[in-house]
Amino acid sequence: MHRYLERFSDAVDVIAGLLLGLCTLLIVVSTVGRYVFSWAIPDSFDLSRYLIGACMMWGFASLGYRGGHIAVDLLYEPLGPWGRRVLDFIAWALLLAFTAMLAYMMFFRLTGAYRSNEATFDLRIPVWPLVGLIWFGCASAVVTTAVAPFVCGKHEETNPLEGHGV
Amino acid sequence: AEVELTLSHWVPATHMLQAGGMEPWAKSINEASGGRINITIYPASQLGAAPDHYDMARDGIVDIGFINPGYQPGRFPILAAGEIPFLISDAKSGSRALDEWYRQYSAKEMSDVYVCMVHVHDPGTLHGTKGPIQVPADLKGKNIRPAHATMARLVSSLGAASVQVPAGEMRELISKGAADMTASPWNSIYTFGLQDVTKHHLDMPFYVTTFAFVMNKAKIDGLEPQDRKVIDDHCTSEWAEKMASKWADAEAAGRQKMIDAGGHTFYKPTPDEVNLWKQATASLEGEWAAAATKAGIDAKSAWASLAETLKKYDANVK
Amino acid sequence: MNTADLVAIGGFVAMFVLMGLRVPLGVAMGLVGVFGFAAMRGITPALNLLTTSPIRVITDFNLTLVPFFILMGVFATNSGMSRELFRTGNAWLGQFRGGLALSTIAACAGFAAICGSSIATAATMSRIALPEMRKAGYADATSTGVIAAGGTLGILIPPSVMMVVYAFLTETDVGQLLMAGVVPGILATLMYMATVLIAHGKHLPSGKTFDFKEAITSLRDVWAVLLLFIAVIGVIYLGIATATEAAAVGALLTMVIGILRGRLNTKLIMSSLVESLRTSVSLFSVLIGAILFGYFLAITQSPQKLTAFLVGLDFGPYGTLALILVIFLVAGALMDEMAMIILLVPIVFPVVIHLGFDPIWFGVIIVVACELGMIMPPVGINVFVINSIAKDVKITTIYGGVMPFILTDIIRLILLVAFPIIALWLPMTMR
Ligand code: NA
Ligand code: NA
Repeated sequence: MHRYLERFSDAVDVIAGLLLGLCTLLIVVSTVGRYVFSWAIPDSFDLSRYLIGACMMWGFASLGYRGGHIAVDLLYEPLGPWGRRVLDFIAWALLLAFTAMLAYMMFFRLTGAYRSNEATFDLRIPVWPLVGLIWFGCASAVVTTAVAPFVCGKHEETNPLEGHGV
Repeated sequence: AEVELTLSHWVPATHMLQAGGMEPWAKSINEASGGRINITIYPASQLGAAPDHYDMARDGIVDIGFINPGYQPGRFPILAAGEIPFLISDAKSGSRALDEWYRQYSAKEMSDVYVCMVHVHDPGTLHGTKGPIQVPADLKGKNIRPAHATMARLVSSLGAASVQVPAGEMRELISKGAADMTASPWNSIYTFGLQDVTKHHLDMPFYVTTFAFVMNKAKIDGLEPQDRKVIDDHCTSEWAEKMASKWADAEAAGRQKMIDAGGHTFYKPTPDEVNLWKQATASLEGEWAAAATKAGIDAKSAWASLAETLKKYDANVK
Repeated sequence: MNTADLVAIGGFVAMFVLMGLRVPLGVAMGLVGVFGFAAMRGITPALNLLTTSPIRVITDFNLTLVPFFILMGVFATNSGMSRELFRTGNAWLGQFRGGLALSTIAACAGFAAICGSSIATAATMSRIALPEMRKAGYADATSTGVIAAGGTLGILIPPSVMMVVYAFLTETDVGQLLMAGVVPGILATLMYMATVLIAHGKHLPSGKTFDFKEAITSLRDVWAVLLLFIAVIGVIYLGIATATEAAAVGALLTMVIGILRGRLNTKLIMSSLVESLRTSVSLFSVLIGAILFGYFLAITQSPQKLTAFLVGLDFGPYGTLALILVIFLVAGALMDEMAMIILLVPIVFPVVIHLGFDPIWFGVIIVVACELGMIMPPVGINVFVINSIAKDVKITTIYGGVMPFILTDIIRLILLVAFPIIALWLPMTMR
């Protein structure tokens, strides 16, 4: 079971990373096209926006598994191991509840986009597949967050930079 | 007051639409209801992003939402007729006519809200950081903020890319260089602080944008009969014209303001060049008809009815 | 005081309690936002906020440059550019007394010019400069203090993720704001160097002998940093492309340079992508929460009342500004700086504008306040980051080392308040 969960979260990382790479390429190509060849990729504005959104939700799933959300350590630091475990549990439970609520409600944005024929501005491509890509990231975040306490820790050393904004 | 209603919109609180349209309308509702209905206005996207306002009214996040249907391409294909360039010549009578016409379709197209009224703005045109903007070929290879979905189709058919942001973000977009041109009515250039960036203007009444006030259905259906009547009495084609009027005057004055200020270049197309623009936009009517047919209405008779209503109020482009 | 006011106050209290329990900040703000909105408008509309708003935030084009600014820094670190900067700094400044410390500050400033994050700047410099300084006999307080302070340049010198967020929250022009950080950034660099010499002067080891040939050849290695800075910041300054386009091109260019020099492979590229994405996401999830919390506050109309209250105190513009800055400094000492600006800027910004201050200038002031917060005890993020890398140096030792820099930062803040032109001159020369 653990093996599958780890494989799942590795896949989440790969998808998230590839989406960011794809998005970088799309923006660079459209920039070069516009300034060098005065040729505009239709819908590049909408596509890059939605792709960044998808990156963020798949990245959110990656965070659900390994942690790294911005939190305030002020009261946490002085606590003993037992107190920390209690706070860890509260934080995890609320993160899971929020993520689940988000995924549930965001599903209606997906069905709404499908039913209302919402499309991109230039080529009028339906936007629901893009919203769907975002929603799948959010749904994956529910899974990765839910299983996080049962699998994390053995995977890799935590990055000291994570969870501290920028 | 017995009934508290929230009205949310996404233009600045200082916008003429609020001072000259929404506030008098809300005041009239308050008076007609003997003080029973009070409307609080939340401006400037305080409660949500501009393109989300339809959903916000539908879901009860707000009671009344001011929407630009053209911020969501494909979603309101029937009303999109009003967005076609060279169709509506005047904001006041045009709002009255469009509202009267759309009443046949509003319950079908915007079925999950109560549609109070629709209206348009004073005819707008293209404004850019560089010239010339005289003929359709001048748009090629440019990044253009199109104002709504139909204009987006037009600019992309002319070899430009659309960068669609709500009006409130126009300034940032243009001053950053993310767009070279924006479609807008005249005085909005001042309202949104673009007068020092967009110095080049296509001097021709080109297109209008449609707007709608939509209300949460459950809220309206739950009103006492006498309150409901007050709302119904304020959701009329006459009120659509009133809503649009003061704003339209303010927009039209913007062009003269630029002439007086100096430093602006106005490109006035010759009649032949106007025809080039008309040819460029000709396909939009067909595209609209196809989308409207798909939405389940008789597009041909709907178009005829729109033309006739516009003519009745002398709001058609000749 | 009416019901709405009470609900708003209750919301603030609930959010601070959740924050104290170490609930992720975005979740704390988001939950209070949703349930506070529910108290005002009912649960169904409140839940429906989650249908539309979060997607709107993550697909907002004003924020699309965030991951690219971070990605650029990660690629730069992973391809060794920070090491070259330090080496070049040392070749030129190493001759002076305390030369390694001066080189470290110069390298921090140089790295800040291609990296949008302060903690990334501090972390990458700890790995490179700290071992060298220790080897050369610098006191731990001095070497860690220099890196903690130098690291804060990451959000002042463009690119800066902090500025992107400020511009997003206040709808100011991000290009102008980024430019406004350049001159204060140079000022900060010089002031930090002076601080090292004055405050730590007595204990500084003497420098090495200057080697002209080495100094010249060292310049060969930093061409990439210079190229990237000009490509990204120059393009934004000249208004040739949008900030997002510049940032994406910059990120790709950093990667290509890394590949050409044989320092990035597929695995490293992939892990750089994931790493920067995760940093970006932790930021976006706070923004999602902040937007939800903002809708809740808006429906209670408390921002207007708070503005009226603060303006009504009648302290005069500079008195009110001083009050706001004190709030920021206290908050900065206690919490994460990103959390601080997301929480406080939307509330105080209308007041500041009402008082007639310049929004771009105020953005720089806020960034400097953030820099202070990053090294201020008890919660100085940069200090924690350095401590997590140099585990044998006590936190208190590092705080001891940064004290003189805190003083310099306060002087710099006062200078910027007194002479706004320091920040505003460069953006004013833009078109
Ligand atoms: Na930077
Ligand atoms: Na802090």
